[in-house]
Amino acid sequence: MRDRSLAYVLLVPAFLIVLATTLYPLAYSLVTAFREWDLTKQRRPGEFVGVDNFVHAFSEPGFQNSIWITTIFVITSVILTLLIAMSLALLLRREGRLHTFTRIILILPFAMSPALIGVSYRFMFNPEFGVIAKGLGAVFPSLEGVPWLASPDLAMAILVLTDVWHWAPYMTFMCLGGLASVPRETEEAARIDGASSWRVFFGVVLPQMKGVLLVIAVLKTIFALKMFDQVVTLTGGGPGTSTETLAFFIFNVGFKWYDMGYASALAWILTAIMMLISIWYVRMLLSERKMATA
Amino acid sequence: MNRKRIYWWGERAVLVLVSCIVLFPILWMFLTAFKRPKDAYSLSLDFSPTLSNFVTVFSDPWNLGDMVLNSAIVASVTVLIAVPCASLAAYSFSRFRVRGRKFLFFLILSTQFIPAVVIVLPFFLMFRTLGLLDTRIALIVVNLAIVTPFVIWMIKGFIDAIPTDSEEAAMIDGASRLRVIKDIVLPMAAPGILTSSIFCFILTWNEFLFALILTRRDAVTLPVGLVSFRTERGDLWELMSAAGVMITVPIFIMALLIQKHFTRGMTAGAVK
Repeated sequence: MRDRSLAYVLLVPAFLIVLATTLYPLAYSLVTAFREWDLTKQRRPGEFVGVDNFVHAFSEPGFQNSIWITTIFVITSVILTLLIAMSLALLLRREGRLHTFTRIILILPFAMSPALIGVSYRFMFNPEFGVIAKGLGAVFPSLEGVPWLASPDLAMAILVLTDVWHWAPYMTFMCLGGLASVPRETEEAARIDGASSWRVFFGVVLPQMKGVLLVIAVLKTIFALKMFDQVVTLTGGGPGTSTETLAFFIFNVGFKWYDMGYASALAWILTAIMMLISIWYVRMLLSERKMATA
Repeated sequence: MNRKRIYWWGERAVLVLVSCIVLFPILWMFLTAFKRPKDAYSLSLDFSPTLSNFVTVFSDPWNLGDMVLNSAIVASVTVLIAVPCASLAAYSFSRFRVRGRKFLFFLILSTQFIPAVVIVLPFFLMFRTLGLLDTRIALIVVNLAIVTPFVIWMIKGFIDAIPTDSEEAAMIDGASRLRVIKDIVLPMAAPGILTSSIFCFILTWNEFLFALILTRRDAVTLPVGLVSFRTERGDLWELMSAAGVMITVPIFIMALLIQKHFTRGMTAGAVK
């Protein structure tokens, strides 16, 4: 077989999977987004209602709230993850037994099911018998009996904590990968010239890490926008609606209220946000590669 | 010199602290899984370990065994379908420069960033019409959506790293392209493909949203099973922890077995 046709033949199975499991459902939900379809009232899809579902979203407090909650969650978790991952990578790139041990166990949080992470943090922050809640209360008496997950701000903080615990180790590995490509010679040279560690980091290492850090920031933003599991198992969106992210709100609209048209419209708003970010991301990757090969 | 010593100790102190933060929630879950119900609600470390929680979760009405089976079948079949298809595609993307390649790769990559909730809405409606709600087939189909683009990306990273020299030499000697793939590329890419398979297994095994929406009773997987320990009598933490151990142990063993490749695989696709 000629290479030219083989190239396409090899792509066929994977492309069929993507077509059937992603592109077709996407098209289906796009059509649904312009329809009225309340599953509690009608079995078959209802009338086309134009952009009503989208217009409805922007005038609804629940949606506005979820956008706000998602923004807070994404910004805090991305910044914290980046800071921790970068600092840890700087520590871990040296050799040593403790370093190797830490590198190995850092794999565990990423391998743990996010739903389970939510459950175990819920357990540990239970004010009556949670080990973290009790432990903090014993060390700082003023924190005794704080209703961690029943307070809107604290619940949000714990939600961010679980997400950072889950992702920071993974991102540390990515930072380590980036650091490995920074040539040691320039660093050594700067150090010999008498530059302090801080100057070496900000003047030599950080500029060369810019590409990797940008990639991590965008990836983490996308993962944070998608985050769903811990909301269900940790807070259930509460107290009230204080941790109701957009993904969780869509889930509620679709599978508690069974309003398929509206849920599809909301899902497409989320997709649009993520698509914009990912197009920007792939472009950035491609131009980075161009610079690297040039 | 003195400053250097302080730094030396400081670095180790931070690493120990980080290790504790990582390990503590996991250890606490393991401890709780072996506590009797009354001990589970105390912070005491002085308890006589018991296996009774595991016995309870595996018997009626929890039947964790069914969920383990569902999770294992869904994850394995997903891997068995996704990885071979993705490997072929990854090879094509890595070695051939044909028209439309960039566009297709971009298309497949960008689907990875689509939120799962968007995919699951139409699938819920379709499976409802087809009578496939609450079946393993439904879960396998939707998991393929998330996993396939990811695996293509990962395996392509591994194949890109294999030099093309021996392939070209074999082709000059008259070997066909398919033969080259089978005899040269596949053996060399095997560690990468294994790593990607395990990654794919972990993603599917831990998957929560699809299973939460598409299953009710027969096809419930482990992560969704966790939610069922939230009863009218309150949360049954000792049983949840026992179930948590069942979710975690197989995955941790896999992750640690391929630890070296694992970290490389994580960075292969994205940093390059």
